[in-house]
Parts: sequence; C-alpha cells; structure tokens
Amino acid sequence: MRAGGTSEFRLRDLLSFRWAAIAVILVAWFVYYPIVDNFIVSTTDEDIFTGEVTQVGLANYQRLLDDPVVWVALWNNFVYAAISIVFQVFGAFLLAAMIEGLDSERLRRFWRAVYFIPSAISITITGLLFYFIYQPAIGLLDGVLKASGLETLMRPWLGDEGTAIYAIIAMSQWQGFGYSTLLFAVAIQKIPRELYDAAIIDGAGPLRRLWNVTFPLTREMTGLMTIITVTGAFQVFNEVMVMTAGGPNNSSQVLGTWLYQQGFTENNFGYGAAIAAVIFAVTMLTGTAQLIYTRRRRVQL
Amino acid sequence: MKISMHLAAFAVTAVSAAALLAGQGRAEEVVADPSAKVEYSGTVSVLTKFGLQQLSPYFVGVAAEYEKLHPGVKVELIQESDDSVKGKTKTLVASNSLPDVYFTWTGSWGANFVRGHRAADLSKVIGPDTEWGKTLVPAAVQAFQYNGKYYGIPLYLDVKFMGYNKAIFAKSGVAAPKSFEELLTACDTLRKGGVTPISLGNKEAWPAVHFAGQLLAYNVPRATLEADFEPKTAKYDDPGYVASLQQFKALIDRCTDGAAVNGTSYSSAFQQFSNAQSAMYYQEIIEFDQAATADSALKREDFGFFVLPVPEGAKGDPKAIEGAPEGYMISAASKNMPLAIDFMKFVTSKENGQVLSSPPYGQPSATVGGSSKEKMSPQVVEGLAALESASYLMPWLDTANSARVASAWLASLQALAGGTMTPEQVMDTVKEASAADAK
Repeated sequence: MRAGGTSEFRLRDLLSFRWAAIAVILVAWFVYYPIVDNFIVSTTDEDIFTGEVTQVGLANYQRLLDDPVVWVALWNNFVYAAISIVFQVFGAFLLAAMIEGLDSERLRRFWRAVYFIPSAISITITGLLFYFIYQPAIGLLDGVLKASGLETLMRPWLGDEGTAIYAIIAMSQWQGFGYSTLLFAVAIQKIPRELYDAAIIDGAGPLRRLWNVTFPLTREMTGLMTIITVTGAFQVFNEVMVMTAGGPNNSSQVLGTWLYQQGFTENNFGYGAAIAAVIFAVTMLTGTAQLIYTRRRRVQL
Repeated sequence: MKISMHLAAFAVTAVSAAALLAGQGRAEEVVADPSAKVEYSGTVSVLTKFGLQQLSPYFVGVAAEYEKLHPGVKVELIQESDDSVKGKTKTLVASNSLPDVYFTWTGSWGANFVRGHRAADLSKVIGPDTEWGKTLVPAAVQAFQYNGKYYGIPLYLDVKFMGYNKAIFAKSGVAAPKSFEELLTACDTLRKGGVTPISLGNKEAWPAVHFAGQLLAYNVPRATLEADFEPKTAKYDDPGYVASLQQFKALIDRCTDGAAVNGTSYSSAFQQFSNAQSAMYYQEIIEFDQAATADSALKREDFGFFVLPVPEGAKGDPKAIEGAPEGYMISAASKNMPLAIDFMKFVTSKENGQVLSSPPYGQPSATVGGSSKEKMSPQVVEGLAALESASYLMPWLDTANSARVASAWLASLQALAGGTMTPEQVMDTVKEASAADAK
C-alpha cells in the first residue's frame, strides 16, 4: 500500500458521511437537543413574559419532593400503568387468542373490527361520550345503577376525588384494548400451525396450547406491548385533560397534566421541565428493564 | 464522522443560541405614538376570546367591514374560547409570536404583558384625556392601568349576576331573595318542589371561584382584599375569609347538587338553566342573551336576575359587585402598530359597540353610547344600571391573584364543594401558595 493510501481512504470515508450527516443533524436537532435542553431548563426559573432566566440549580427537584401533587400524580400514573397492563396486555392477549381460535375467517375479521373501532375514535369525542356516561344522576352509568337497585353506588364519577382517575382509566381501557388485541392477533397469526398440530398430537388441550405454545411464541409482542403500555401510561395527557383537567382538587393529576399546569397555567417552565425529567427517567427505566428481560427470555425457533 | 459531528454540534449551538435569543423579552417599553400615520396596507392579526359559535361572527363581521373600507388591509383572526385562550396566549408569548392585537383580562393576567414589555403603552392614544379615551367608559379604561400608564382597550363590561327563572319562582311561591339567608330558604322551598335550585357545573373549577369571589367582597374589607392579592403583602388573616367559605359551603349544600357539581361541566349546568330544569344559574351579564333565547325553554320574559344577596352581618362592602371589563392589548412587537390601533378604534366605534351590546351577542360595550337601549335585551340594560350603582368592582379571584394562588383557590374550592376540605383548610392552602409565591 502506498503512503497516501490511508489518507485517501480517510477522506473518502469522511466524505461518505455527508449522506448520514443530514439524518444525524435532524435527529440531534429535533430529538436529542430538546431532551438535553429540558434538563438545562429544569435548573432554571424562567419567566416567559419577560424572558428572564434565573439559575436555581436543583431547587426545582427539591420542590418536586415537597410537592404533594407530584406524589398523587406518580401514583395515578402507576395505577394507570398497572391496570393498563392487566387489560391491554394480558386481557388483549387472551382476547386475541380467542378470536384467532375461531374457525371462520369472516367471524375473526368481524370480531377484530368490533374491538378495534373504539381506537379509531378521536379522544376528544371519546372524552365527551364518557362525560355523558359518567354525568351525575342523569348519566348512563348512574342510570343503570339506579335501574338495577344499586343506588348506593351512584356517584359523580368524575367529580369524586376517589373515583375520578379510575373513571378516566376505564375509558382509556375501552379505547386502547382493541388496538393491542389487533397487534396480538397479528403475532398469533405468525405462529406456525405445525406447532399446534404437534401439541394436539401430544394430547395438549386448548389451555395447555395457549400457555405452552401461543404465550411463549408471542413473548416478544408481550414485551413490546408492556413497554408501550407502561411508557404510554406515564405519558398520558389527553385523556385526563379532556375529562377532568386534573380535578377535582388535583386528585386525577398525572405527571403530564401537572407539567402542563405548572408550565402553561402557573408560568413555572423550569419546574415543569423538572417534572418532565421525572417522566423521562421513569419511561427510560421501564423501557430498558423490559428490553433486557425480553432479550433474555426470547424463544428461538 | 468527525465533520458531521462538528456540523451537528454547530447546528445544536446555533439552535440553542437562537432559542436563547427568542427567549428574551424586550428591555424597553414601546410607547404608541398618537401622531403616527396609518398605512392602510398589510395584515393585522387579532387573537380574540370570541371563539364560541354564538360570538365568533362578531369579529368576522367587523373584520370584513374594515377590509371593505380599506381594501389593502387583511385582518387575520385567531378566535379562541374562554378556556383555550389562556394556553394559546402563553404559547404565543413563549414563541414570541403574539399577534398585533390580543385579548386580555384585567388584573395579574394583564400585568404579565406589562411586566414583560409585551404590551405597547397606549397612554397617549387611549388615556382618559385623549380623543379615543373620551369615547370609552372611564372605569373600563382605568381597569387596564398599570404603574400609572394605560395599556388596554376595553371592549365590553362583564359582571356576575344570579339569573333566575321567574316562572319557576312563581310556581314555587318564591320571591327574589333580599338577603343571603333568604336565598338559602328559597333554595329549600324550590328543592321541596322538585326543582334543582341552582344548577352549578364546577368541573372546570372557576364557576365556584366566582361564587366565592362575590362572597369575599361582601365579607372582607376591600383594602384587606387588595393587600392579600399581592403575595408580598398578603396575610389572609381576616375572619371574613372563613365566614365567606362557610356561606359558600351552605350554598353548595342547600342550593346545588352538592358534591356532584364537580362532575358536571359548566356548559351542562348552563344548559340545564336554559332548558328550564333549574331555577337559578350564576352567570355573567355577557351570557344573558345566550341563557334565554328565542328557542330556549326559558322564555325571554321569564328571565330575571339579581345580585347575589348580601349575608347578614357581613363586614365588607355590601355594594361591591364581582366583574371586570375585558379588552385587548397591542403587541409591543407589532410591525404595524398604527394600523392595529386604527382597527381597534374601528372595533370600539359607537356603531360596532351597539352591535356587540345587542342580541345575539349581548356583550355590553365599553364604548360610551355603544349600547342602544332599544336594540338591547331589557335585562342587559338593567344589569348595566346595577353595575353603575356598584361601589367596587371585585375582580375575578383567578385573574386578580398570581397564578399559583389562583390555582390554590381553584383546587381547594373544588375540595370544599366536594366535602373533602373545611373552610379553614382551604384558607391554609391559599396562604401556603401565597407564601411560596412571595419568596
């Protein structure tokens, strides 16, 4: 090799990065810069009206610890995630297995569509719909309770500090359930039929087949859905904003709405950014943990 | 890889520098010059609070007329609702893209724009001694005064009354109450007759704050109230506060659906009144013409109103009324300020004021002579008369206070209505928020 060879090679190598540069810059600019900037903003106190920025160090994080609403919000996010996993991961998996177990393709299509339709409705409309269902005394839910003699259970579902967040979570399950069912259905369809045939020959009943064939072979999808559900539950915003905006008395605040309230209502963008940092940390941790877990348990065919 | 990383680093630096620059407010105040020549060309952007279907045609109509008069001008309207205008305005501020003309409340809301030098000083254009200023109701112009200067263009006057259904009252044998205690008794009678006495929807939290605001004005002396609005001088130790909240709680328990109010939206409650399913609804004068319309179950002739009656032994101002003018500011960054001002002069003309005051809008104009009694609903005319005899206009609690204190009022009054807090606990929450803000 001649002496100039390496430098020529380097130049060509460097020049070829031009093509990647655009993508790198765009991703850095729109994805990573805002993440870093969020941490910078969280150490400041910013007045958007005057543009004054004061460095406050970690004071906003100290305030997080002392703010009771942050703990309410974290708990609500956690409950949101836990209930969503039950319904949108395990419930959806069972439902998908049942639908895919049907013999007629037409029936399978029909049921997939039935469960998917709520996901296609805009959240604003769903919010309005459920507002009417939950309306005190004249709403559908209270109406049904009254008709069935369960008057003692009647309550202003969205107006009661004890039930508001659960009423929102219930709506969210109704809406998100069909979407995960559809994804599980696709995963189940990809399982080779021979495995089931072999299981049947071995004398495995439907439950055993579900547990020993379907479940392990859709584990990757289960892992993915868990990540999506948990991160989704910690980023939830629209559902709460449309239904209660965090009320009554901040009982249904989640981190996303509390962030919005601090930034846009109370003009504390620095504190809002500190709340955003918590959301980032939680979603990042659950994502990584889940990825490690599924990688370890992946089934190779 | 190095080059692209450098490039990326450069891009990031450039963006952050731009972001920093964008974040800067203006160092100096912009003063509107009354002698500036108006160039009738280009666009005027306007952020209104008339996004509701019933109200939006007003600005659309005025803009069309203005464009017809001045063919070179294009008026760009951004119309938002009562709730959405708050978030929208802050987003526009944060991104330095406030339109030429934007909606504002009085009190701490408007003070933000003044503090950040984002509103043009209009003293020489709209001050009380100026030509334009003389065409407007003086108290309304005064309401937008900050540090001795005038910043706002008042468009209409707003004030809170208890609207009631005369037919329902007559059927239950109840008369318009003269005292707060009479109101509570009237509620008991109405409820026995199977009617919801007052429909209240407090899902949005501000409707309860309006009740509390009027009661505070009755129970707490004005000077104390005003000192408490300012976190640095706030004490919140007047016994009138807890007294007001006890009255508020009695009203919630005896006159409304109780804890259920937090699950109902204010628009549903308003609809209930309009459908003649409730006897009373606490509303703003600007809602009168929407409560009783030609097609509503509540007939126009059955619609009556009274000022929320004064509780016995109240130590504040019995002639205070809760309300404030609402108006517009001119952006200090406006490239075509004389045109923006000229457009607002047109909006506040006597003729346009009369259109605004009359049905279907029913927003009592802040322009002198901007209300023609023949065209207006008689209730709006009467309401304006009541407003004139008021000794003090109590500002809305959630715009008079700093945002943090306002949020404390909003959340804790929901809790008081829902029965999870006592009046004393509400005051502790408010005090705490105010103390945190004073730092």
